[in-house]
Amino acid sequence: MIELLDLIIKAMDLTIYGEVKLRDIIFAFIVIVAVLLIAKFVTMSLKKSLVDKMRKDQLQILLKIVYAIFLLLAIAVVTPILGVNLTGLLVAGGIVGIAIGFASQKVVSNFLSGVFLLLERPIKIGDQIIVGNVAGFVEDMSIMSTIVRTYDGLYVRVPNEQLFSSSITNPVANVARRFEYTISIRYSDDAEKAIDIIKSVIESHPFALKIPEPSVFVDSLGDSGVNIVARIWAPSAVWFEVKMDLLWKIKIELEKNGIEIPFPQRVIWFGKAD
Amino acid sequence: MYGKYKLRDLNISVRGLRIWSEFEDFYRYRRVLENSEIEKIISKDSEIIINPIEPVNLPKGITNYLFIDFEKPIVIEPDSTTEVFTTFPIEIGVFVCKDETLEDIDIFSFVKPKYALYGDPKGGKIARYWKTRFFGKIPQLDPLEMGVMKLRIYNLTNSWCEVSKAVFDVYGMKIYYNEKLVSSIAEMKIHSKKVAETNFIDEPLFKGMEKAVELYVARKIPIMSLKMTMEWGI
Repeated sequence: MIELLDLIIKAMDLTIYGEVKLRDIIFAFIVIVAVLLIAKFVTMSLKKSLVDKMRKDQLQILLKIVYAIFLLLAIAVVTPILGVNLTGLLVAGGIVGIAIGFASQKVVSNFLSGVFLLLERPIKIGDQIIVGNVAGFVEDMSIMSTIVRTYDGLYVRVPNEQLFSSSITNPVANVARRFEYTISIRYSDDAEKAIDIIKSVIESHPFALKIPEPSVFVDSLGDSGVNIVARIWAPSAVWFEVKMDLLWKIKIELEKNGIEIPFPQRVIWFGKAD
Repeated sequence: MYGKYKLRDLNISVRGLRIWSEFEDFYRYRRVLENSEIEKIISKDSEIIINPIEPVNLPKGITNYLFIDFEKPIVIEPDSTTEVFTTFPIEIGVFVCKDETLEDIDIFSFVKPKYALYGDPKGGKIARYWKTRFFGKIPQLDPLEMGVMKLRIYNLTNSWCEVSKAVFDVYGMKIYYNEKLVSSIAEMKIHSKKVAETNFIDEPLFKGMEKAVELYVARKIPIMSLKMTMEWGI
């Protein structure tokens, strides 16, 4: 037993490189693990206490900053123990950085795009976005990429360069948005009555906004019926629910009042041979 | 109907509304009103508070603003204070409580909710919409449907100003009630023909009125500001 202890103590004094011994490396490792554990504990505690008091995106940024501070602290403590001269690293880093920059333009481009996205903030965590053919909720924004959860629950990582250079559509960036239906009725139906019915159904829905007022009007005279357009404003937070809910209610109410959606029809005249 | 009850004694029946409790394996809170129905299991017999709450929670909470649209505007003389009465819609909250802790278990209303946008779609506010009018004296109202709001309008400008709407941040709404009346007192300070500031005052309309439990206090929502700046017209 004593021999084993003696062996361990001797091993601790083993020089790994320069003046750095094995015990320094073990100590540095313990410091990093301890600081990371503390960082994890602090961020978890912050998350628990602030989750219902802050916006999700702001909380994520705060947690990342706190974690990064702890990480920098760990690096600052560990580097002297490991005999690493930070000044030297910076000079070397500059040269290596140029080389890496040329070699990995895409990575640098993504990084810079990420910085600009964070500064410009066209989107934030929780937003709904449409970028190219990706549409969904922004789950996370990091310096290199943005994570989008599509409406069908898929995980999509969009490189920041692509996000930065594409046009981003945020369908719920404003507090309210408008949607519209085209409702076709038969030529034999009373269009004015249909408009009144549609207006009353819209009026009865709490989230179909009173102001701006919805507009319902005859838009065109189609091949098979009269096309009525209904334009409705709804709070962005619930607009899709309102859109799904209202159309069927309008259809049912029109049918209750004897107004029907026409089937495609064509009148054919048979000419008589002289 | 408003007031404190023991859960086991709960049995209210008024105008199509029925609230009662049942006990089998647990205490059950039950409520039926028109097509809406709710049942909640409560672990122990507790105290129940039923009172009017901030009217922005139905069908679900998407805003904390109340938009009162007046049928006919009122013109206020320069550098003056005018006191008028108006109405606001009522939502009724049911809270279960023990000592100082409260939890809302049910919200319902006899009034159909409607929402509107105050301002523009970019920076405006989605708000609970309520169309009403000005009254010179306290109107006779059904306390289950509508409350009386005493509105003190300060015209701080040196020109005549027309008021056709008032928008409030209901985080600061203070509601008082008794058997016959639900009330709230608010202020509107007109800074220009298009800009005003609104806020609620924490005092009852009459002495002896009970202060309603505020939903945002029960939910422990941190409140940053109790004032609302109406910057898209008054």
